[in-house]
Amino acid sequence: MSVDLRVDLGRGLVLDNPVGLASGTAGYGFELRQLIDLDRVGALYTKGTTRLPRSGNAPPRVAETSGGMLNSIGLQNPGVEWVVERYAPEFAEWKVPVIVNVAGADVDDYVACAQRLDAVPGIAGIELNISCPNIAHGLDFGRDPASAARVVAAVRAVTGLSLMVKLSPNVTDIAAIARSVADAGADSVSAVNTYVGMKIHRGSMRPVLPGGTGGLSGPAIRPLALAAVADIRAAVDIAVVGVGGIVDVDSALEFFAAGADAVQVGTVNFVDPGAAVSIIDDLPQGGRMSGGMEVLAEGGRYPC
Amino acid sequence: MSDLRRARLEKGEVLQLEELGGGLLELTARLPHLATAARPGEFAQIRCSQTFAPLLRRPFSVAWTQGDVCAFVFEVVGTGTALLARLKPGDVLDVLGPLGHGFSLDVPAGKVVCVSGGLGCAPFPILAGALAKRGATDIIVLNGAATGDRLYPPQRFQRGSLGITVVEATVDGSRGRRGLVTELVADALGGDTAALFACGPNRMLVSLARVLETITAAPAIAEAALEAPMGCGFGTCLGCALPVRASSGDRAWALCCSDGPVMPIREVDWDELESMPTADVA
Repeated sequence: MSVDLRVDLGRGLVLDNPVGLASGTAGYGFELRQLIDLDRVGALYTKGTTRLPRSGNAPPRVAETSGGMLNSIGLQNPGVEWVVERYAPEFAEWKVPVIVNVAGADVDDYVACAQRLDAVPGIAGIELNISCPNIAHGLDFGRDPASAARVVAAVRAVTGLSLMVKLSPNVTDIAAIARSVADAGADSVSAVNTYVGMKIHRGSMRPVLPGGTGGLSGPAIRPLALAAVADIRAAVDIAVVGVGGIVDVDSALEFFAAGADAVQVGTVNFVDPGAAVSIIDDLPQGGRMSGGMEVLAEGGRYPC
Repeated sequence: MSDLRRARLEKGEVLQLEELGGGLLELTARLPHLATAARPGEFAQIRCSQTFAPLLRRPFSVAWTQGDVCAFVFEVVGTGTALLARLKPGDVLDVLGPLGHGFSLDVPAGKVVCVSGGLGCAPFPILAGALAKRGATDIIVLNGAATGDRLYPPQRFQRGSLGITVVEATVDGSRGRRGLVTELVADALGGDTAALFACGPNRMLVSLARVLETITAAPAIAEAALEAPMGCGFGTCLGCALPVRASSGDRAWALCCSDGPVMPIREVDWDELESMPTADVA
């Protein structure tokens, strides 16, 4: 059986299949492509990339929790110039579309990165990270519909690339932010980024992470992410990419049922680097997932 | 960037889980790829459960290999290792490896001093074997633990008769010399020492680095296997940062999983490492 799994994310970005690797869990692909057939995945969403290189936060940077993990990496990355000069020529040789996740501290940062990435061979799209919980000001754009719209509109003005906006779940009304960025010109939204969380060290009774909090990911957040995706689906017409705690095809299908057009597989990559490819293999066959397949056949739209 | 060309996901049969005393456990499994590909100081990410509880794999040094068999030494420190401690012969062990950057094996002629603290014994059987195979004839293992029953058995540092000397130290004095293993280092190092290799808790490595700073004839090769909480173990999550000495005075990080776990001792910023909070163990 051959099912057309292509997903249109807008502005010419069409993925061969809906299962991508989430930002921050796949680096820039160079490690995972040594372990799996990276060209099989629908998209690679890179590590959050900033205008200038960042060395990241002091360790410890990760802490395991029940069904999840906290991270506070602090956007360690080589900077957009390095990505364009050194990585993009490699990306251009790969079949997998590479969507660069862009982070910044102010509108100028985002605009500078987007300008640099525009029309670069090997760069398939931009995922605007207006929701990193681990840098000062990282959440500010993602928390307020007006400022989210401002940064999206500014980036929209300088790029012809398909523009996805990754939404923070650490807000009162995620659907309002989604509506706002859609109106400002986003082609799609991805939801959700990590939830702000804390772990206490039992010996010292102090937070494990030096900054106190970090971003929670993994299966623990899946019900929360699903609710966010359903909310967003009801609010916008642009493509919605679901992310949060997917570990297998069943959990991926939950997101399609909640209204996602595509998904990103994240933390599970650390445990099972082959998880995304397994999910893709399991998608078209799924007798017991027939409900999910109907959802897929309808282009991911599901009345909820 | 990590070189993962030798790394592979592999599932193998558990052969034995042996209690060595004092809570030390030695796990052996049939893992043909890891057994042939692993180099001394490299590690494997072991999945402790077939569910996602606990979620993450746990890193373990390859302790020794023989044919298609791999051994790991561990103790129960949290939920993951508690599950491993319940494995029975015939159970499946799910590993990803070998990973990381191991010890230098190109060692000039002369004495080799290995400093092991507690579970830091893990990489030394495979290292001693590899060095002996390359012609090292004078290998001394300084092995320390809190108590005598927690010392890795001395005869196990040598798979076969390699003529390795093991000198022991315990904090409570119940076996070997009373005190910390790092107190043995200055005496063990002579002018002919070609290399020093260390593995143990970070606080032990900090005091070892301080000892080396006071020694005029420190060996040219001095390396330590470090630890840090890891997410992936193969260089993508950037979670296992270790402080290293930066030329510019800026903060610089290396990744324990891919730049390490074995690092030249002079490259690590031990003052910074010492000031960091105790790693979380789950």
